[in-house]
Amino acid sequence: MVDILFALRYYFFYPSFFAVIIFPGLIFTTIILLLTIWFERKVAARVQMRVGPLYVSKRTGGILQLIADAIRLVFSEIIIPVGVNPTLYVLAPVFVIAFTFIPMTLIPFSAIPKTGSLLSPYFNIFYDYEIGKGVFVGYFVPYNMVLILGLASIVPIFILLQAWATNNRFAIVGAVREALLAVSYDVLLVMSIAAVAIEYHTLDIAKVVESGIPGIVANPLAAIVFLVGMLMGTGKFPFEIVEAESELVVGPSTEYSGFLFVLAMGGGYISTFALSFVFSDVFLGGWLPFTGLPGALWNAIKAILVLWFTVFLRSVYGRYRIDQALRGSWKYMLPVAFASLVLGLVVGWLWIR
Amino acid sequence: MLTSQAEYPSGMEVEIVPVEGELNVGPQHPGSGHMRIYVKLNGDIIVDAELDPGYVHRAVEKLSEVRNYMHLIPLVERPAILDSIHMNLGYIMAVEKILGVDVPERALYLRTLAAEVNRIASHLYGTGILAIFLGHSTGFMWGFGDREVWVEVLQALTGARVTNSYIIPGGVRRDLTPAIKEMIEKAIAYQRKKVQDWYKIFVRNPNIRDRLENVGVMSRENAIKWGAVGPNLRASGVYYDVRKIEPYAAYDKVDFEIPVYKEGDAYARLLVRFEEIEQSMRILEQVIKNIPEGNILSDRFFKQIPPTRLKKWWEGQRRIVFPGYYASFRPPKGEAVSRVEAARGELLYYVVSDGSPHPYRLRMITPSYRLIQVFQELAKGSRYADLVAIYGSLDYFPPEADR
Repeated sequence: MVDILFALRYYFFYPSFFAVIIFPGLIFTTIILLLTIWFERKVAARVQMRVGPLYVSKRTGGILQLIADAIRLVFSEIIIPVGVNPTLYVLAPVFVIAFTFIPMTLIPFSAIPKTGSLLSPYFNIFYDYEIGKGVFVGYFVPYNMVLILGLASIVPIFILLQAWATNNRFAIVGAVREALLAVSYDVLLVMSIAAVAIEYHTLDIAKVVESGIPGIVANPLAAIVFLVGMLMGTGKFPFEIVEAESELVVGPSTEYSGFLFVLAMGGGYISTFALSFVFSDVFLGGWLPFTGLPGALWNAIKAILVLWFTVFLRSVYGRYRIDQALRGSWKYMLPVAFASLVLGLVVGWLWIR
Repeated sequence: MLTSQAEYPSGMEVEIVPVEGELNVGPQHPGSGHMRIYVKLNGDIIVDAELDPGYVHRAVEKLSEVRNYMHLIPLVERPAILDSIHMNLGYIMAVEKILGVDVPERALYLRTLAAEVNRIASHLYGTGILAIFLGHSTGFMWGFGDREVWVEVLQALTGARVTNSYIIPGGVRRDLTPAIKEMIEKAIAYQRKKVQDWYKIFVRNPNIRDRLENVGVMSRENAIKWGAVGPNLRASGVYYDVRKIEPYAAYDKVDFEIPVYKEGDAYARLLVRFEEIEQSMRILEQVIKNIPEGNILSDRFFKQIPPTRLKKWWEGQRRIVFPGYYASFRPPKGEAVSRVEAARGELLYYVVSDGSPHPYRLRMITPSYRLIQVFQELAKGSRYADLVAIYGSLDYFPPEADR
């Protein structure tokens, strides 16, 4: 009996399951997304002289409003327009949400010490020879920096597919904007991460964290470039250009309704959360000074703060025009990205061994 | 179609590959009232924008041929419920010209007061709409939140938040009380403080400036040629305001300035509105200080109110009850034109009386009606995302244009 319990505990906390499905994976992410939308509405309301969601649960500041909204959206009718390819129409948002979530399985959330932690039994399985510790991650790859960005950059293709499948003019204009933006923000993300990789002589995010020097100290330029690229890539203000409500209804997801709409719209939040984790790991020192589950929690708190900062920008900015965003990224941010590369080379050569 | 070169204000030349298509924007638009815009696009550039107004047509001009003069007051307000004092004022001025009534001094001051409060509220509304068009939700909420202060003032003064029907032939309906004076002073103090915050978060926001500067540029010549009015005309460097050119109500007795900008772009139009809010508050302060004592209705009508009702309503609550004359008066034969400076620009009424209880003809030329042409011309050649910036900066209000 006790053996079975131990075995169950072993499989329950197995990082490939626990980190991906429970914490900080699917379930935790969903809860955080609901909380984030609640926070976004509440903080915007605070700035805008309103109260925000309140009446669903007055004592808890209307936090149940999001549950109510989620239930309503999930159970509302899914309308498939006449004349679309139903398979592609349904599959496109599923692909979008899947490929925004897959990077989450590759992000190191915490380190596993040899003994003394709940996760210590997995020390050998998830051993990272570069840091001499285990890594709390869904699937450990020593080149996770490249893989995360590579998988994240597939998403725009499915957004294009989604717009193409719906055959709506607003959706197509939105998708063209997404395609134009994707080219520019991917360059920014890749270059800032490359700067960090050169600086820390590794492609492993865990090693960047375990070096003990947060990236924002070692290379602040890369942090700025990454943050801007992240805002553009995830459609947060002031770069909410793809969904631009007053111009394009909701851009590529114009024709979607019900649960498919949730999938199509949730992608932006999930990819922001995933990239927030990358930002927290690479630039904010990740799980240090903790390890094990407390480290993952500490890391998640940092990621949530980054995520909440990005949603707060809604109450400060409007949206740029697409040509302004492109000009901003190619004319102003690209030189900064190059500067961050040079800074990475110099600092990596002089300071970080 | 061959590849063409487009010149941008920043001096950059962009090669445009022709990708033509049409977008059918509206008539249910997330930002504003009901109007359809057929947008012909070439890539991201608008080749042609055709406006299709008429979704909120209320047949004001035709209905006015079968209604009594008094019953027309609520009707002429409906086209622009957020600017109803001006709609009301222009109509009453035309009717008074036909009737030949002298309006008491205090009533003239009260008309100016109500009109300026309404102008502030309307400009805040317009700014809010512009903000949400640009995705700036804080500007939208602040615009509507601050407008609430002035709408409350109007409610205290006239008894209604919008569609006040405050101005009647020969005067106004209610008198100014010390409590309302105090309320207006508080509102001015609040708005002055808030305008500073507005400048910080909206007007001088680099994001908003990028979206509005050099967008929808209307030169002085074009503004005159296309018949622009109001703040849009003044943002193009034309000093024209009916309040100065042809003063009505008490505008010749108050001191105020007309903000004029030379740039003619969307940002200049926004700045003109914001400075007009400040000027309107200056007018309000002067009106509160200098308002003369006296009656608020012309003696000709005042004498017809029965003494018992006069005692109850006028002496008790400083309110006018309508004398029986108003029910279906027959003005002498004649015609009259009146001009007022509504929040969106010059508003013109032309009323023809044939001696019957209802007008033979009522013509109403609203500022938004004139903006249709301006909007269409400005949209050509701009980027698709600028369509909403131009729409918002013109403060175009579809029901007002449709009448």
